[in-house]
Amino acid sequence: MRKNFLRALLAIAVAAVIILPSCARPGTQSQTSTDPTLTFSWSQDIGPLNPHMYNPSQMFAQDLIYEPLVSYDRGGEIQPALAESWEVSPDGKLITFQLRQGVQFSDGTPFDAAAAKANFDQVLQNRKEHDWLGLIEAIDRVEAQGDRTLQMYLKTPYYPALQELTLIRPVRFLSPKAFPDSGTTAEGIKAPIGTGPWVLADYQKDAQAVFKRNENYWGSKPAIEQVTVKIIPDGETRVLAFENNEIDLIYGNGEISLDSFKQLRDSGSYTAEVSPPLNTRAIAINSNRGATAELKVRQAIQHSVNKDAIVSAIFYDTEQRADTYFSTEVPYANIGLQPYAYDVDQAKALLDEAGWQQPAGQAIRQKDGQPLTLDLSFSGENNVDRAIAEAIQADLKAVGIDVRLLGEEEQAWSDRQSNGEFNLIFNDTWGPPYEPQAMVSSMRVPSHADYAAQQGLPMKAEIDRKIGEVLLTTEEAPRQQLYRDILTTLHEQAVYLPISYSTNVAVMHKELSGFEFMPQANQVPLSKLSKS
Amino acid sequence: MRTYFQPTANLLPVKLTDHYIFRRILQLIPVLLGISIVTFLLIQLMPSDPAAVVLRVANTPATPEAIAAMREKLGLDRPLPIQYLDWLWHVLRLDFGQSFVTGKPVLQEVMHYVPTTLILTACATLLIFALGLPMGIVAALYRDTVFDQVSRLFAYIGVAMPSFWLGFVLMYIFSFKLGWFSVTSRGSIADWILPSITLAWAPAAVYARLLRGSMLESLGQNYVLYARARGLLERLVILQYALKNALLPVVTVFGLSFANLLSGAVIVESVFSLPGLGRFAVQSILNRDYPVVQCYVCLTAVLFVVVNLFVDLTYSYFDPRIRFGKQEV
Repeated sequence: MRKNFLRALLAIAVAAVIILPSCARPGTQSQTSTDPTLTFSWSQDIGPLNPHMYNPSQMFAQDLIYEPLVSYDRGGEIQPALAESWEVSPDGKLITFQLRQGVQFSDGTPFDAAAAKANFDQVLQNRKEHDWLGLIEAIDRVEAQGDRTLQMYLKTPYYPALQELTLIRPVRFLSPKAFPDSGTTAEGIKAPIGTGPWVLADYQKDAQAVFKRNENYWGSKPAIEQVTVKIIPDGETRVLAFENNEIDLIYGNGEISLDSFKQLRDSGSYTAEVSPPLNTRAIAINSNRGATAELKVRQAIQHSVNKDAIVSAIFYDTEQRADTYFSTEVPYANIGLQPYAYDVDQAKALLDEAGWQQPAGQAIRQKDGQPLTLDLSFSGENNVDRAIAEAIQADLKAVGIDVRLLGEEEQAWSDRQSNGEFNLIFNDTWGPPYEPQAMVSSMRVPSHADYAAQQGLPMKAEIDRKIGEVLLTTEEAPRQQLYRDILTTLHEQAVYLPISYSTNVAVMHKELSGFEFMPQANQVPLSKLSKS
Repeated sequence: MRTYFQPTANLLPVKLTDHYIFRRILQLIPVLLGISIVTFLLIQLMPSDPAAVVLRVANTPATPEAIAAMREKLGLDRPLPIQYLDWLWHVLRLDFGQSFVTGKPVLQEVMHYVPTTLILTACATLLIFALGLPMGIVAALYRDTVFDQVSRLFAYIGVAMPSFWLGFVLMYIFSFKLGWFSVTSRGSIADWILPSITLAWAPAAVYARLLRGSMLESLGQNYVLYARARGLLERLVILQYALKNALLPVVTVFGLSFANLLSGAVIVESVFSLPGLGRFAVQSILNRDYPVVQCYVCLTAVLFVVVNLFVDLTYSYFDPRIRFGKQEV
């Protein structure tokens, strides 16, 4: 009897083992079929894709659907997009755009000056939300002249106006038919309808989004017919899905670990690329709090961090060491600033001068009985920042500074950025086309780490005044001079510890061709790819 | 004269108010009320001001005036008890407010994710019982045999292995090496298999060991000896006498560890890219999307309470003494 019972149980177990996998067969068949489509993956849901709003919409997806008046090319060059040409008045206060003819939104609505004006009006109605961006503040009004002429009146001259029009948000164009019936686009849109090369065809929140080629696109149409964006939150799962041929392309920064990147690259079975430098991974040093209020301490920190070791051990040389807050490729930033060299002895000498003495037999320096302890704050979810933070902790320990690591959740980290409760905090720059103008402009607003970090500088008011001035200059030479002053002061005051210039990485299967990196960090080059 | 039949109280077996199930459900009311208070107060303890969060999400600079205005709009300037009653009144009508991030009604957002998590936990529960129970029974019946040792090994591995790692190992072997499943596709039954196994493995291992122990104890009891002495079929003795009594601790532990199952789902959902409630909740916590967090906490607490109610009812089925305990006194 016992035997029978055991047999029955075993039979159930065996049946389970046989039946379960056979359920899977139908699922695997669809994946092996070859159609001219591409599968991409992203860690977060693409969001509601409102062109005039921010998170949780993902910028790369907004960029697939919506287009700007003018586009940004490598090195800061402005290219025509929805506007064919433009003209800036001599006083810099009126920009007149000639719009491209024959452009349609994907719902068939023509894109004309009235539609463009309607979009601008929506954005301007909401000025407060875009107040980090100087352009929106500077615009007085936008007017349509006939079908093709759009006039943008500025309150004051604003030289980076065209550059900021290239941004993925907030000024891109939604079909007026997709505006909500009540109120403004700030409260939501009916559907994501733009003029861009892709159309959102299917969307399952947090699972996947399917983009189809816009067959009526005015520009050169994508070679691929359809792109499926699968939402895969976990980087290791993404790698496995990639190796299993379920996704064609991995792209971005932090989408997979650099260990995985190295492994995929070294396997030789795939194409792996590293983009040119995009933005700066940097740490802001608070000049208004504790020991870091002292210039010599800030300078000592600059000299004690071994960036080359970080770049090779953490980034496997996929990134370059950063010596200045803005890379020399950033407009107006190539001004020959003298890098702080990695020099432990000099760091120690500076700390001695500042009165932080190392008691015999103790690792941590003291002044008036107080230990030299600094808080380094970072987002605990960011594994790369965590690794850098640990490296910095070890480096500073070597010169007698005790670093307390505060790895908190993202919100707490961003709270600290605005309230200034940090000595050191991770504060990356925004990359082109925000640099340098939008970045320096934001230094005047208390909601950023930049503001908090610079708060203790004796010349902070002077810096802010020059920032205000540089954005209004209409001539090249004084503008360069003002940038030189601002960036030199910030560099000399050592309020930023640049670590490296970050990059996007891309890994793809060999049957993909036509890959090239995009000029903006948040664009994904899906439109140029083709698959054999 | 005809006299009509008058039913008397003692003709009913038990008065409704004395009924076990009724009493248990009645006891839920204070528990649920307690949950609502804790959930509400939880938000008061969170470090960021909800008004500041709304402003941040909307990208509006959080100036003191803007915060004050937003506090008034959200009703945060009213006394706490009023805020609570207002909130409770809405919650009772299943209105958890609007998400700070998406601006959509919270319940609608949450319901989008509920099916995934429910299917996942249901599949896992099924697997736990389908694997854990037979294994526990057999291990007890064939104590100290090879099978017992193998099931012990299975239990140790199951308990020791973190579920995210187990998930990757399963995915690596079955999806990547063998190609039986796909890593990403969803929409077919097959997609639930690996996640359910990942989620079920550790609890199944625990329950198998637990059942083995209580089976052994139960097999040594006099009622089993008596049943055997009566010459009952061995199968009947094991299923009706030994197993029924041995199941009690397993059911208890299941009720208590149901929450573990839900929290385990978070990791499994992330590894297998399932759009589930756990992942959404974690995302909302990180975003400080308080209304969503409140709704999630309430839902899981209620679910937990309901599962435990079922556990208690099951209990009274297995052991009638519990059901009638009160009347015997």
